[in-house]
Amino acid sequence: MRVLVVEDERKLSQVLTKALESERYDVVTAQSGDDGFERATTEAFDVVVLDLMLPGRGGLDILKQLRQRHVHTPVLILTARDGVDDRVLGLDLGADDYLVKPFALSELLARLRALLRRGRPAGALLLEAADLKLDVAARRAVRAGRLLDLTTREFELLEYLLRHHGRLVSREMLARDVWKEPRRATPLDNVIDVQMTRLRRKVDGDGNPRLLHTVRGVGFVLREDEP
Amino acid sequence: MKPGWSAASIRVRLTTWYTVVLFLMMVLYAAATFVAVRHEFFEQFDDQVHDDFESAEAQLERTPSGQVAWIGEPHHDSEEEGDRAADVWSTSGRQIYRSRPSVTLPPIAQRTSPAPPRYETVEAGGQRWRTLTGASAVAGDPIILRVGRSEERLRTQLWEVLVVLVLGLPLVVALAGVGGYALARQALAPIGHLALEARRITADRLHQRVSVPNQHDEIGRLAAVINDTLARLESSFDQLRRFTADASHELRTPLAVIRGIGEVGLGETRTAAEYQEAIGSMLEEVDRLTTLVDTLLRLSHGDAGTVRLSREPVDLGQLVREAASSLTILAEERQQSIQIDAAEGTMATVDRLVLREAITNLLHNAIKYSPSESAIEIRIRADRYQAIVEIRDHGPGIAAADRARIFDRFFRLDEARSRDKGGTGLGLAIVKWAVETHGGQIAVDEHPAGGSVFRITLPLGSKIHATGGLT
Repeated sequence: MRVLVVEDERKLSQVLTKALESERYDVVTAQSGDDGFERATTEAFDVVVLDLMLPGRGGLDILKQLRQRHVHTPVLILTARDGVDDRVLGLDLGADDYLVKPFALSELLARLRALLRRGRPAGALLLEAADLKLDVAARRAVRAGRLLDLTTREFELLEYLLRHHGRLVSREMLARDVWKEPRRATPLDNVIDVQMTRLRRKVDGDGNPRLLHTVRGVGFVLREDEP
Repeated sequence: MKPGWSAASIRVRLTTWYTVVLFLMMVLYAAATFVAVRHEFFEQFDDQVHDDFESAEAQLERTPSGQVAWIGEPHHDSEEEGDRAADVWSTSGRQIYRSRPSVTLPPIAQRTSPAPPRYETVEAGGQRWRTLTGASAVAGDPIILRVGRSEERLRTQLWEVLVVLVLGLPLVVALAGVGGYALARQALAPIGHLALEARRITADRLHQRVSVPNQHDEIGRLAAVINDTLARLESSFDQLRRFTADASHELRTPLAVIRGIGEVGLGETRTAAEYQEAIGSMLEEVDRLTTLVDTLLRLSHGDAGTVRLSREPVDLGQLVREAASSLTILAEERQQSIQIDAAEGTMATVDRLVLREAITNLLHNAIKYSPSESAIEIRIRADRYQAIVEIRDHGPGIAAADRARIFDRFFRLDEARSRDKGGTGLGLAIVKWAVETHGGQIAVDEHPAGGSVFRITLPLGSKIHATGGLT
């Protein structure tokens, strides 16, 4: 998968490159708007990560020009402004998704996966990790042969973690995708933590090996235990 | 208007206006006076001429020789007599008597007889004469008698009156102008004083006030208004100063933590677990900073008035239940119950997300500060004009002195405890903004049986059922 990262902030660009390369993406970076536009129109990419605030040609301008030239590569925009107008403008101009800085890298990766998956089936209805099995259609979760008694929210949370199996899931992602709250707030963070504690008690209790891990300062991950 | 004019002081302008208006009024007054006096003089003069006519009639006599003669006092013996004249004409137009040879009145033009007595002003001997001509008879023969008085003295008198008026007028106006200027200066002096005092009060000395000499007059009211403005300015400055100090503290603390952890981490070689611990700890602080910056930006959007609400009719009971259900899990952890007592169909036209966040924040506080196994009680009711949402907890309550400030940004009842619980110190500030941007109000009180009651009052959008209060 080839990704074009158009970002003028050197450090951020480096971090994005590292994170994407560790996910086995083929990363090309552009430090300016003109360079980015040049590459986006002459080379083939699977997805573009585009900062809106760029020296020279601005991100929105690039986006507009790309779409006018019928380059339909999926574009994820990065912006420091979270005003509704900026967001709507970006999406209207043909962006496929947006993230507001500062964002969690795990969330960026998840969004990119979602963009690349687009058009394909929404995902399997049977999920599993180690001895945990989830039947999404029947709403049944089984760990080590034993049926888990989960609430709706717990089931959705577990399903989300399973779909991101082995990958970090931030609280922002959970707030938006599981709790369907557009804004992350302190009360919700507490709710997420408590909910996760309860889910862990049900999933990882009874001496089962740990599947649900908290990564301090980042979020959560579901993976087979190897520290 | 000339620039010089608008640059002139109020004192000068006031005096100028005053003087001009006074001058015009005085001119009108003098003109009217003069016209009236003149009219009166001439009327009296005509009366005198008429008297002359009557006395002349009585003093004319026909001599035996057929001449007309004057039998009374001779005309010329007194000073005044020099101003008078009389002559007699026959009906055929011949002059038959003349009192003053030195003055020759012009011949009488009209001879028809009998004619009504007629006043006339004629020119003779370089003077103007007022004459009365009329039919009369001497010893039965019809004659025409004319008497005249010189207007010279009368005109001299009128001239004197005019001179007094014309010379006196500018003098009076000038005196009034000087007096007006002095008065204006005296009346306006306190304003200059006030300006001087107000100018001395700078941003560093906002606690000072201008003096109020007399609070009931205009200047006193102006001074009171200035003082009022200064008080508000001072309180805004205080708030801003406090906010800046608090914001620096809140923003710099996580930065200091991140820096410290980084420096310690790099100080010597550590195990992978220690590095992970350090990085995780740094990320936690980053998280705290992110939340803080987000909230501050939202509040500043709110201050700038750039937040657009998408209002719709919302059932407040349902909204509160949504907020409560999202937090139920936190209450459960502490064996607390959330009891909602909602009047059916209490609708308000609000931005659902903004208001729900406000209620969620309040509920979260209630859960956080209430003891285990207590109840959080929410009451929703409405009267004709407003909807009221009351959230009561069984916490320690808030001291009366702190209640006004609890919605201030970064205000904390207990510094250490709040920070440990992960709050930003901006939760209630957001709540206050959310409620007020809907045109509502929020207040906190102590419940008689202990605990705090937060009361949100919202103007009613529309109402489906007239419940008339709590059922």
